[in-house]
Amino acid sequence: MSECQLRQSTHPLVGGIHPETHKTESLKQQCMMLPTPPELIFPLHFSGGGPGHALVSVGDRVQQGTPIIQTESGIVHAASRAGVVTAISEHPLAHPSQGPSVCLFIRTDSAGPSLTLPLRSSWTAEALRQRAMEAGILGLGGAGFPSHQKWGDTLHTLLINGAECEPYLTADDTLMQQDADAVIQGAVALAENLNLTRIVIGIEDNKPDALEQLKKAIAESSSSYLFEVVVVPTKYPSGGERQLIWLTLGLEIGSGRRPVDHGIVVHNPGTLAALAHSIDGNPLIERVVTVTGDAVPAPQNVIVPIGTPIRHILNHAGVDSYGDLQLTVGGPLMGFTVHATEAPVVKTTNCLLLRAPTQQPIEPCIRCGLCAEACPVQLQPQRLFQMVSHGALAAAGHEGLADCIECAACNAVCPSHIPLASWFQHGRYSLQEEAQQTAIADQARQRFEARQARLTRLAQEQEARRKARRTQNSDMLAKVRAARGAKSE
Amino acid sequence: MIQLPSNRSTSGVMAQVLLALVPGMLVATWVFGPGVLLNVLMASLTAWGSEALCLRLRKRPVIVRLTDHSALLTGWLLALSLPPASPWWLISLAVATAIVLGKHLYGGLGQNPLNPAMLAYCLVLISAPVSMTTLWIDPLATPGITSAWMAFLGTAPDAATGATALSLYRNDFTALTAIEIASHPLFREASLGLIAGVEWVALAYLVGGLWLLFRGVMTWHAPVGLLLGLFVVAAFFAIDPDSGTPVWVHMTAGATVFAAFFIVTDPVSGATSPRGRLLFGVGVALLTYLIRTFGHYPDAIAFAVLLMNFAAPMIDHYTRPRIVGRDAAIKGSGGTS
Repeated sequence: MSECQLRQSTHPLVGGIHPETHKTESLKQQCMMLPTPPELIFPLHFSGGGPGHALVSVGDRVQQGTPIIQTESGIVHAASRAGVVTAISEHPLAHPSQGPSVCLFIRTDSAGPSLTLPLRSSWTAEALRQRAMEAGILGLGGAGFPSHQKWGDTLHTLLINGAECEPYLTADDTLMQQDADAVIQGAVALAENLNLTRIVIGIEDNKPDALEQLKKAIAESSSSYLFEVVVVPTKYPSGGERQLIWLTLGLEIGSGRRPVDHGIVVHNPGTLAALAHSIDGNPLIERVVTVTGDAVPAPQNVIVPIGTPIRHILNHAGVDSYGDLQLTVGGPLMGFTVHATEAPVVKTTNCLLLRAPTQQPIEPCIRCGLCAEACPVQLQPQRLFQMVSHGALAAAGHEGLADCIECAACNAVCPSHIPLASWFQHGRYSLQEEAQQTAIADQARQRFEARQARLTRLAQEQEARRKARRTQNSDMLAKVRAARGAKSE
Repeated sequence: MIQLPSNRSTSGVMAQVLLALVPGMLVATWVFGPGVLLNVLMASLTAWGSEALCLRLRKRPVIVRLTDHSALLTGWLLALSLPPASPWWLISLAVATAIVLGKHLYGGLGQNPLNPAMLAYCLVLISAPVSMTTLWIDPLATPGITSAWMAFLGTAPDAATGATALSLYRNDFTALTAIEIASHPLFREASLGLIAGVEWVALAYLVGGLWLLFRGVMTWHAPVGLLLGLFVVAAFFAIDPDSGTPVWVHMTAGATVFAAFFIVTDPVSGATSPRGRLLFGVGVALLTYLIRTFGHYPDAIAFAVLLMNFAAPMIDHYTRPRIVGRDAAIKGSGGTS
């Protein structure tokens, strides 16, 4: 039986904001399974895990669980329902870039049993990494980083990020309430196989039901781990990876370093639940999605087969027409606007937020400094904004642009409604691009210099050989002459 | 229930600052007569007019910018800083200078390196020194509407106007002892024991300012920097009561409290980091004391603010907080691109 040690966070968050949470709306209804949509859509390159290629062809029959996309990182995505592959063609995506991309289409039917992964009696770290790839497990919190790539050999602490600090979002809350056992099982499996010594859960104090379920699940778990459950005050962005590590462990992750560099692996509870299910043989084919916003008649959480078109889910929640409503994928702060409702849900889609447009006119910056007070990294957004918007990227880089976590707390407090975080994102991309260009130029220069050096060396060697030959020849000539001279005498 | 403007918009921030000025404005009217309200009215009209003109010339949306209240705020700040018996043209000149030269020539809202109100104040102080020092009302002889109107038109009756406490100390009290000074009616008649009338105005501005702090419109750093800085330096040099201006005169007289909450807190021309704001306030305090004591003008806040405005970017540069995850705060500047 596992032990649970409950405590309050004693390390306060720097900066941060208290936006209206809007979480109760979507928690009123019981979380249900969405009826299977007639068509499922899987982007080949944007399903998570990097660019991929199809493992099936048009006309193929797939079962629920059949691998259909193999990605660069080794992650394999499975069909979330049985059906027939009808096409592989371009389709709009729910992606910040807004562009269409190649997708695989499956017309669903109800035929056939589902395909499962083989069960194992014992697990190792390597087997677990392999399983995470086969089951298509990636970070379900939003970033979608392939989980197995985080599981190095030098880790000692698992931190479960149950903060879910962004307004409107209740998907993690729902999952922790309904599937707490799987979360704990996944955590234990990971901790045992990676030889972790510590399991810590960080959860905001506005989720008492989830906390209760987690405590119950810990008590029922058969492992010998001590679970440290740290309750953190409700404040955005307490669920930022670095912020939660500070809140729960009192440790600051160095600038430019990652939690794994400090021996800490952070996972969303959904990711750990998916790991537990994959150990039972089930690949990741569904996730909890929050459907909410003022324009949604029946806000709720639904379990959605991956690949379901967004429109299908919104219809299920009672939305008939869109008019000039604004659809956001993700929360109101870190999410992005999506115009194509026919785009599919991918593994990182945690929330569909449908609201009347909230765009307010952008006014000049009056340097009030509210953004600097809100910044959880203690940047000076008003200075950074001036630099980035005037193209002074190097100066912005020096000012700490790369330390921005893009939480958008600055946007939320700006009285002039300046989209600061978007500027900073743009600035970071430009800086990265610049660095890449420099790297390419450096490489070309190095190649050129190496070639020059090689040519010089070859020429020198040739010259040396020629010289050697010449002296050898003249020596020989002298000898012959000397011999001839001796004969003739 | 009246809906208060919120911090979620620039116009809301400005509107709250305007509201916070109202108690001070009303008390000033009670002490100095209806001339104060005439000044505020004239300043408002000039502010709107010059702002609209500039926006039109610069081809910017007029209504949007006019309703952000920033021009009105500049006008009010000037109207409340200038002498209560100022003629209408002095007010208009000052406000138009602030809006046109101080704000729009630099690029409008958010772009001005200097506090527009203080820039204009200095301009009229240098250009019209006699008006600026002699048109103060004697708080013990509050004028009625007729004499206020005459002053507004530029024919102030001499009897109603008088010198301020700071200028008395500067020009008239140099040879007197502390006891002799205390018998001057301006101090003898003071109900709070400070300076008659003026003490109530300062108190009203303090109330407005504290309300702004409570509403989160501004942080405490700059006001505390100015008030505490001035208190410490004035107390240090006022050990001998017979020489030098006493601490309480420095704190109550002139524009000290008004400036602490409404001038040095201007975000556009001030420092922005918390430590920077504190330093900015302290800098204004030190310069104010120096100029009040050794300069040619009785009050000095406007000059001190302008000088510190120039220093604000440098202050910001050296007071950046430590970024979370770094060992120390960033020093120096990065690239030059």
